[in-house]
Amino acid sequence: MAWSRKSAMFASLAVALYLLGLVLRNQQLVTVAVVLLSFLTWAAFRTTNADVSSSGRRMDEDVSAGGVALQNLVALRKLSSARVFEDGEIDVSIRIQNKSNLSKVLEVRDRVPEVMRIKKGANYVLMELGPQRETEIAYTIEAPLRGFYTIGPVCIRIQDTFGLFHNEREIHLYDDFLVFPKMEDIKDALIKSRVPKIFTGAVNIRNPGEGSNFYNLREYVPGDAMKKVNWKATARSGGKLMVNEFERDAVSDIILLVDSRSVSETGPVSRNSLVYSTRAAASLSQYFLSRRDSVGLVVYGDEIVSVDRDTGKKQLYVILTKLAGAMAKGNTPLKVVTNRIMPHINRGSPIIILSPLEEDPTIIEAVRDLRSRNFDVTILSPSSLEFEFDARRLDRTGYELLKTERDILMSELRGLGANVMDWEPDMLLNTALSGARGF
Amino acid sequence: MVGQKSDTAHLYDGKTIRSSAPSRKKAAGRMKGSTVIPKDAIPEVHVPSIIESFFGGPIVTKTKFLPPDRVVQTLQMSAAIILTLLSIVTFTVTPVSGTAWFWLSDLMDLPTLGVVVHLFLIGIGFIGGMYGIFQREQRAILISYVALILVTIRFAGSKVEFGIDLLPDGEISQKLLLISYALFLVMYIELTSGVIRFSMLDKSIRTGEVYVMNVKKITSQYYRSLLITPVVAGSVALVTLMINLIIPSIVGLLGSDAAADRLAESVELTSVYGVALGTAVVFMIVASAFAVNLPVRLAQMRENGSK
Repeated sequence: MAWSRKSAMFASLAVALYLLGLVLRNQQLVTVAVVLLSFLTWAAFRTTNADVSSSGRRMDEDVSAGGVALQNLVALRKLSSARVFEDGEIDVSIRIQNKSNLSKVLEVRDRVPEVMRIKKGANYVLMELGPQRETEIAYTIEAPLRGFYTIGPVCIRIQDTFGLFHNEREIHLYDDFLVFPKMEDIKDALIKSRVPKIFTGAVNIRNPGEGSNFYNLREYVPGDAMKKVNWKATARSGGKLMVNEFERDAVSDIILLVDSRSVSETGPVSRNSLVYSTRAAASLSQYFLSRRDSVGLVVYGDEIVSVDRDTGKKQLYVILTKLAGAMAKGNTPLKVVTNRIMPHINRGSPIIILSPLEEDPTIIEAVRDLRSRNFDVTILSPSSLEFEFDARRLDRTGYELLKTERDILMSELRGLGANVMDWEPDMLLNTALSGARGF
Repeated sequence: MVGQKSDTAHLYDGKTIRSSAPSRKKAAGRMKGSTVIPKDAIPEVHVPSIIESFFGGPIVTKTKFLPPDRVVQTLQMSAAIILTLLSIVTFTVTPVSGTAWFWLSDLMDLPTLGVVVHLFLIGIGFIGGMYGIFQREQRAILISYVALILVTIRFAGSKVEFGIDLLPDGEISQKLLLISYALFLVMYIELTSGVIRFSMLDKSIRTGEVYVMNVKKITSQYYRSLLITPVVAGSVALVTLMINLIIPSIVGLLGSDAAADRLAESVELTSVYGVALGTAVVFMIVASAFAVNLPVRLAQMRENGSK
């Protein structure tokens, strides 16, 4: 049984008045002290019997098996989904069952991760639960940031009516859920492999697109390149312009490199380079996988975590899970990463690097190596300078100085043949990619 | 000195530093011509006062409440009524004689000054309390507590003495009056605390921080406790104060009438020390009940019995 601040104040006042009453031989003070002590004692006595009349719904006996019990109280939690995207919502419902034959007045608090926002309902409920009854608490949380999270435990508190003493226990009921990075819809095919993949695998693409094999003929539509016009077919069709369509080349291997070094978390929690990089990586993965390309992921920070190239929806979830768990740690240089992955990827495959390009002296060397092996390198760089400047952690002079240095580095990388984009906050990924590819 | 460690080197002994070194570029960026610290760079820091440091926080927190709901209004009215009764009873049971201000005014040869101070303290207790109750101002309530307790601190010469001569002379009626005074004081403290507590709860409910199922039953339970607890506390206090009658009657039952008479007339038992003895006896019984975990055992018995 725990004492509240109020009960401590009552007790100390009672003792002080009692002693003062004895010293001054004052019966008024002693009487007040005795009444205060009696008041406290009765409240302490009642705390273990905090019963009231019943309310709530009749319990279904068969549902209690799945819950976690604390003496006579059972809690069962249900989440609407165990996987959501950033800014997604999860409906949580908890059933609290009182299996005893006595009523209880309970304060129930379901502990939710600090970053979550309660959108609807409340996770903190004061209730009176009758004997053999159950009740349901429902609330909705909004998940603003990617990551692995746990809801629980359920804290139960029984308090006396005056708020003097309380008993607090935890029901160890935990539910995990995953928040994937938010994805942006990428509409256009901005990144393509210049070299068809040697081993196309089992995937046979019967889609029109950019490629070398003839697919079919169709009528000209505005926007088609004139070089695609089939003049012979046009002559045969009686004046209608006809164009050749080609079958899309075999799938490409796309490698996404996400920088999750400690420096990538510079800026506010919800607006930093790592947040932007993971969102971009998720969006790109979805785009390429929907195009039936095979996508691989490498996340480097204190260690190098990689997801092997593969295709399909399952691969998307594997990548999203890795991105959700990316933590800003360590300082592995890009050169170490490229050295490790280069032997395992096909020459000419597009490599997309998502990095703030800070505090890594090996960037130029790494990109030069990739370019010399004919890899198509695209660098999307969320600028942590902008995040810091927006958060007013950087003054104008410092910002200008660092910006100049960053621009020089980017020019140098562009000089190596990489497509580089300085991704400023609030710029859509599509726009950033267009800039990177010169569209 | 050559070979000597730098001053801060010991801080890094045996530690693995994983993160990268601070960026010199950024440090350079932060350097400014002037040494003035930008205003938004200084976070608001609350420096605790001596009292806050002592108690580990403010004694009275500043809270803004929403307009009172029905429960809070009821509690406010009850607290106001109890405060009025308490002020009247305080005025009747606490004479000015024996107080520090009585002694001072006597020393200054201004006997009315003591009475004025005495009435002033009761007035502060009453007005401060009323203001605190209706404005839900915890500091005013605290001042009211202090004033109403301070007014009773006096040398009493181990004899019950009242401020008004018209009050009953009988021992039991005198003690009942004392108990009612003590009960009013304790109930006043509890009700004012209830006003603040329920205002906070109401605010939490209305802001959606907490959801309360069946508010009426929870408040009715509080009202019931407000009626039952004073009766219990008053009964315990009555037993404690009546120890000078209880002990002689027990001794009389055991067969020694002379000893019982002598005990009944004993000055020690009728004085404040008799009350102290009563308190010791009663609370020893209560303490032993808690020592054998009686409340929990009773609760378990109730649960098992009902099953």
